[in-house]
Amino acid sequence: MSSESSAALEISGLSAGYGRVEVLRDIDLTVARGEMVTLIGANGAGKSTLLKAVVGLVAPSAGSVRLFGADVTRMSPERAVREGLALVPEGRMLFGPMSVEENLRLGAHTRSAEEFSAERDRVFELFPVLSERRGQSAATLSGGEQQMLAVGRALMAQPRMLLLDEPSLGLAPRIIAEIFAALETLRSRGITILLVEQDARLALKHADRGYVMRTGSIALHGAADELLANDDIRLIYLGAWRGEGE
Amino acid sequence: MLGRPDIRLVVIVAVALVAVFALPMLTSERYLLRVFTFVGVNVIIITGMALLFGYAGQVSLGHAAFYGIGAYASAFAVINLGWPWPAGVALAIVLTAAGGFLLALPSLRLKGHYLAMATLGFGEIMKVAFVEARPVTGGPDGLSGIPYPAIGPFEFDTAGLAYWLVWGVAAVALLLAYNVVRSRAGRAMRALHGSELGATACGIDITGIKVRVFVISASLAGLAGALYAHVVGFVSPSTFSLHVSVLLVAMAVLGGTGSLAGPVIATVLLTLIPYSDAVIPGLSRSALETIQEWQEDIYGLTIIAVMLFVPGGIGSLIRRMAPGRGEAR
Ligand SMILES: Nc1ncnc2c1ncn2[C@@H]1O[C@H](COP(=O)(O)OP(=O)(O)OP(=O)(O)O)[C@@H](O)[C@H]1O
Ligand SMILES: [Mg+2]
Repeated sequence: MSSESSAALEISGLSAGYGRVEVLRDIDLTVARGEMVTLIGANGAGKSTLLKAVVGLVAPSAGSVRLFGADVTRMSPERAVREGLALVPEGRMLFGPMSVEENLRLGAHTRSAEEFSAERDRVFELFPVLSERRGQSAATLSGGEQQMLAVGRALMAQPRMLLLDEPSLGLAPRIIAEIFAALETLRSRGITILLVEQDARLALKHADRGYVMRTGSIALHGAADELLANDDIRLIYLGAWRGEGE
Repeated sequence: MLGRPDIRLVVIVAVALVAVFALPMLTSERYLLRVFTFVGVNVIIITGMALLFGYAGQVSLGHAAFYGIGAYASAFAVINLGWPWPAGVALAIVLTAAGGFLLALPSLRLKGHYLAMATLGFGEIMKVAFVEARPVTGGPDGLSGIPYPAIGPFEFDTAGLAYWLVWGVAAVALLLAYNVVRSRAGRAMRALHGSELGATACGIDITGIKVRVFVISASLAGLAGALYAHVVGFVSPSTFSLHVSVLLVAMAVLGGTGSLAGPVIATVLLTLIPYSDAVIPGLSRSALETIQEWQEDIYGLTIIAVMLFVPGGIGSLIRRMAPGRGEAR
């Protein structure tokens, strides 16, 4: 159904918003297969809205989204998950009263029961601490463990493309490093990644390419190291670096 | 993947079943049987409420309306159309399922208090309809002389038979609900309760789940209505008022979330309050009257006490007594 040459994710001319309020205007963004691309921008720029529009949580008013060559524009989120797209939402959105294991089971909702334990073990391999906490309720995990669970839950759907919305938010540098190491592992397994981050420097260090969003449109994009070296970027987006002094 | 039911659970359920079904053989007191038949009717409704509120996290203050629609539909079909009772039950279920579908629509956009208000509005509209639709409902006076439930030539015309019929239906409803909550769909329902966005991100069709759980809970209330009307022989609008909807929510809250056993126990307790004389031998007439007078306050205080001291309701107490198992898995 999809040709080998097509990109993993191809967003063209996408506009979307909430009700009559247009948030995204004419967005073009492409992620090649196996690539890790980051989307950075100030608070309220529309990064989360773009991810929501891609997975079908927000209906686009114009433009198209193609996933591995297949048109997924206006597809329902549950169809999108079945098509191999998984979102790690902003704020994690875990099932607090349920155990780690149950959260993972729900992540595998679109998968057959037989696939569960093998996939769960792969998640435990990636984040061994989750294995120790498997019977504990998600609400009682530390922030870092919760973020790992959010990523693990998304992986249970066995996605080909992973969208992450600010996985580093509020976490200690050591934990952030652990999560980014896991993302690198996932990329080496062939999973394509689109990563939304506030911490532009961190994101650009790991990503292949980056897009910079400004009030609902893409202001510029390019190779990650070019963006890191770009004076405008340094001034506007990297000026407010967290973790300064490295 | 779900594991076999725990042996203790099987034993408890078996003992409860035997005790429930043996009651008419142990006593011939009509009043006691009537009261417990009424408990059984409420258990059928609460089974649906437990799925709706306790598992899927959706609030409804309009479920008494479905109870009423079921009661009037079945009574009207049997009295005025001359249908056999099972056909009246079928009509009750079809109408309330359709009503449940309609009530699910606001739930797709509204949450919490707003959904509660929308369902409350539905309940109030239906209450007015029960009063105004005289040709069908008999208006404020209600319908009387509703024949006993009958399947073919067999009539459930004694207190004991009516009791068995109602509890038989309640047991089947609970068994079905138990299977639902242990299934993948049941887990998805609880996920909805946890985080709708998280559930969507897992590929769970939350629209489909909300619609289904509203339809199931509404038709269980309709089924209970079709039993109630024919067992009691009389229905009037006050039986299906907001007060009943609130009582149902009280049972669900006291019963706790993510549990079937909890809401069932809560229903038994709260239903018995105004009929305390049936279970407490020698309760004086004046004591009973006091209880009945303070009934609403007892419900209210119970809810407040539960919220304060056992936020998880009876269900959480059960889980605490038997850790590591339970329907909520
Ligand atoms: N559910 C909503 N309804 C209406 N407006 C919304 C909604 N969610 C976001 N917005 C608006 O859309 C704009 C973009 O928000 P969005 O969450 O996409 O930004 P963001 O780039 O992810 O910001 P942050 O870095 O703070 O997460 C903001 O102006 C916000 O107020
Ligand atoms: Mg955001």
